Amino acid sequence: ATEWNASTWGKRRAFTENLEKLAELVAEKTNGEFTINISYGGLSKNTENLDGISIGAFEIAQFCAGYHADKNRAITVLELPFLGVETLEQEVAVSNAVYSHPAVAEEMAQWNAKMLMTSPMPQYNLVGTGDARSSLDSFDGMRVRATGGLGEAFAAVGAVPTSVTSSEAYQAMESGVVDTVAFAPHAHLSFGTINEADWWTANLNPGTVNCPVVVNIDAYESLTDAEREALDSSVPEAIEFYVANYGELLQRWDSVLAEKEVEKVMISEDELARFAEVAGPIHTQWIEENSARGLPAQELFDLVGATLEAAKSGN
Amino acid sequence: MAGAASVLDDDSLISRVDLRLERLERVFALISGISVFLLMVLAVVSVTGRHFFNSPLPGYVDWIEMAMPFIAFLGVSYVQRVGGHIRMDMVIGVLKGRALWVAEWLTTFATLLLIVLLIWGTWAHFDRSFDFTAPNWSRDSTIDIGLPLWPAKFVVPVAFFVLALRLALQLWGFGRAFLRGDTHPVAIPLILSAAEIAMAEAEALEGDEK
Amino acid sequence: MTSIEIGLWVTGGLLVLVVLGMRVGFAAALAGLVGLIWIFWDKKGYDPEQLVWAVTVAVKTAGQVPHGKVSSQALSLIPTFILIGYLAYHAGLTRALFEAAKRWIAWLPGGLAVSTVFATAGFAAVSGASVATAAVFARIAIPEMLAVGYDKRFAAGVVAAGGTLASLIPPSAILVIYAIIVEQDVGKLLLAGFIPGVVSALIYAGLIVGLALTLKNFGPPVTGFTWRQRFASLPPALPIFAVVIIIIFFVYNPFGGDAWGTPTEGGAIGAFIVFLMALWRGMRWRELRDALIETAKLSVMIFTIIWGVLVYVRFLGFADLPGAFADWITALEQPPMMTLIMILLAYAVLGMFMDAIGMLLLTLPVVYPAVMALNGGETVAAADAAFGMSGPMCAIWFGILVVKMAEFCLITPPIGLNCFVVAGVRPELSVQDVFRGVTPFFIADAVTIAVLVAFPAIVLWLPSLA
Ligand code: NA
Ligand code: NA
Repeated sequence: ATEWNASTWGKRRAFTENLEKLAELVAEKTNGEFTINISYGGLSKNTENLDGISIGAFEIAQFCAGYHADKNRAITVLELPFLGVETLEQEVAVSNAVYSHPAVAEEMAQWNAKMLMTSPMPQYNLVGTGDARSSLDSFDGMRVRATGGLGEAFAAVGAVPTSVTSSEAYQAMESGVVDTVAFAPHAHLSFGTINEADWWTANLNPGTVNCPVVVNIDAYESLTDAEREALDSSVPEAIEFYVANYGELLQRWDSVLAEKEVEKVMISEDELARFAEVAGPIHTQWIEENSARGLPAQELFDLVGATLEAAKSGN
Repeated sequence: MAGAASVLDDDSLISRVDLRLERLERVFALISGISVFLLMVLAVVSVTGRHFFNSPLPGYVDWIEMAMPFIAFLGVSYVQRVGGHIRMDMVIGVLKGRALWVAEWLTTFATLLLIVLLIWGTWAHFDRSFDFTAPNWSRDSTIDIGLPLWPAKFVVPVAFFVLALRLALQLWGFGRAFLRGDTHPVAIPLILSAAEIAMAEAEALEGDEK
Repeated sequence: MTSIEIGLWVTGGLLVLVVLGMRVGFAAALAGLVGLIWIFWDKKGYDPEQLVWAVTVAVKTAGQVPHGKVSSQALSLIPTFILIGYLAYHAGLTRALFEAAKRWIAWLPGGLAVSTVFATAGFAAVSGASVATAAVFARIAIPEMLAVGYDKRFAAGVVAAGGTLASLIPPSAILVIYAIIVEQDVGKLLLAGFIPGVVSALIYAGLIVGLALTLKNFGPPVTGFTWRQRFASLPPALPIFAVVIIIIFFVYNPFGGDAWGTPTEGGAIGAFIVFLMALWRGMRWRELRDALIETAKLSVMIFTIIWGVLVYVRFLGFADLPGAFADWITALEQPPMMTLIMILLAYAVLGMFMDAIGMLLLTLPVVYPAVMALNGGETVAAADAAFGMSGPMCAIWFGILVVKMAEFCLITPPIGLNCFVVAGVRPELSVQDVFRGVTPFFIADAVTIAVLVAFPAIVLWLPSLA
């Protein structure tokens, strides 16, 4: 029998359903010969999961690229603002394309890791207090809790990115430390920011974080053929389940917002186009910086664009 | 038992080494204290910046996370020198003379073993975040403003290295006390007699209270 | 061998090391490291060729913990709150508070001890760390109690118990840690601690008066202060209330507007104000340096236990002992209140062997969801809930109960931190003396916990306003 440990964090939630489903399917397909025990924070700190994989402390782990850009430069392309991703299916498509790129495989191999699948996150829309902000000009002076590239994009239109931890986000909003918080919907629900909100942006879609699931290469290679087959073949199903499950959550999100009478702000196409322009220099800067590090940055960036276009026209 | 010990000195070699090391340890402890102070200043800057200039300190959380290891580890050896790390003294408290020195030697040895292994482990932790060929030598960075993490990770094996020196010195000290059958050996934390304590306490309070 | 058996063996080994006098933080880390080696080697079927691999993986896994766990914003409140305590001491605030309490209430039976309790309660409002509060009052209050003839063990017990009030009355480091582990609103939790903290202080005072009335040769009342002297003692103690108000405004604005910031900031601003006060009262570099080194020492003592215990907790994660505990709790067939009381009792036992923060870090990820499920779930309405309160209110109530239990463990043998600190500061006292002196307060704490369980409104009234 093969027993793997999987490391993620927090509690079981929509974000971890791909791992849960994967464990369930793998056990099923191998008649319980190959099991994956999922630990929520017991095996590693959330920012150290990649380290744990490289040590060999556990065999499978989930992490987010934005937690530590310097550990995983190549996939931070997926966290750039205003890539134009609209749905979870598109997020899956661009993630898969980037994960398959040799530069990503090489960078992950430095951690003794191999990409298994993604945990697609919806766009980090804003939830805010006070008067609804529906134009770029109204973002001027807005204190926003947004990290990394997203923070840069808001800063570029005059907003003030403000550091608070996710667990202090509610408190920060209630106390006026920040006016707005950018989170994925499940985080807005679980950290309670939605309870303090007056409005939210339904279509700003500024970007999101990218959170892969990786396996330790040695462990993966020491699997029997049947076990490896069971693992690999379960990935598409696990992702499918994840997306369907998150879809239900997004429906609940809409009804929660309606129930709490949170105003739904639609930003006009013109304003969105202006905001997306701001992202241009951030994209260029990312490409320059990472080219200097020896990554095929332009290629990765173009790959995202091309994949996204194909995914959108396929729909 | 916390802090209720003192370290004697004379002009023996071990005592001179102890005092040299103590000077370094004290500087480390002071840096740790100053880091706490800076943490406080950081919050004041962040709050006033936000309230009066609408410009909060960028990466406030990142800076806090950078500062914490300096606070938590730099003083670890200083506290070990004076026997300040918390322990149960139910058993050790009743031992005297050679029996006490043997017991102290054994737990100190176990601690040294642990710390040597942890120097390896925390060095590996640092080493994964450090890359001479990368910009800022960084292979791990903070979430918000991307500060390189290796300095904060480096401080741990450094502090543990000094602690290992201290533990080795204490092994020497306890071993020497055992061989010589000393009652008041130098360079190791002693549990003091009531009279000595009263004197030390009186001296301390003179400067303390206003 | 199952991982749970390994977990139990290593836990036994840890207790042996602690009893033998190894420093608690180092003993926990060593137990954790050995446990990790054991778990990893077990995974390879104890193959001799795999021992080096197991040691390497275990050492590197343990090596992640010290830096990784310590660099957190939540824990940054601990040194900040300790610094406030030492600066307040150097600003003379602690003594001023004790002096005022003494002049106003020392005429009671057991008056000096009652004054100590109220002064620690007042000081709790600028100090977030129980041990720091115990440390400063060990310096100030114990000599005065000894001077009028109190039993030295009882005097030490009063200070050790009084120090625990700092973690209920805001600001409180441990409440912040709870809020962060269970992802609840920090501000509401801090508010919720206020009334239970005051209730605790009153119950302590009641106990002392009762003891003074029944025991012969108890410390005598201290009388003879004129009204003039009493009022004269107030102004030097007043600045502490200014700090209290500012810290409260950072958590919750009673006038209905926005609060001024986050608790993290509030703590640091509080420290800064006390720092300015200390400067104004003549603190110079020498005193500041001493305060900083004292802060560093106490912070290091606490953090060494934190990371040491967390190495051990990391091992427990691999051994899945917490998971086994969760399964066991949820399988119980009995009234939810019974289970809750059993959980609190389990904390009392566990707390005898673990440091409070380590204990919360270890258990809450398992116990908290179980308690929430007992009540009927995270989003249950008060009317449908087992404990008659909504999900978020249950989270706050349980938090206060657990923190009160953790505080209780700060004064219980064998590793009650407050008692060690008091013994550390007072050379004439051994740890065993302090443990003996603090015993009556176990009863007071049991009464307080019973009151908080029976009347949750004491906890929930204030946060329900915010
Ligand atoms: Na407090
Ligand atoms: Na003592």
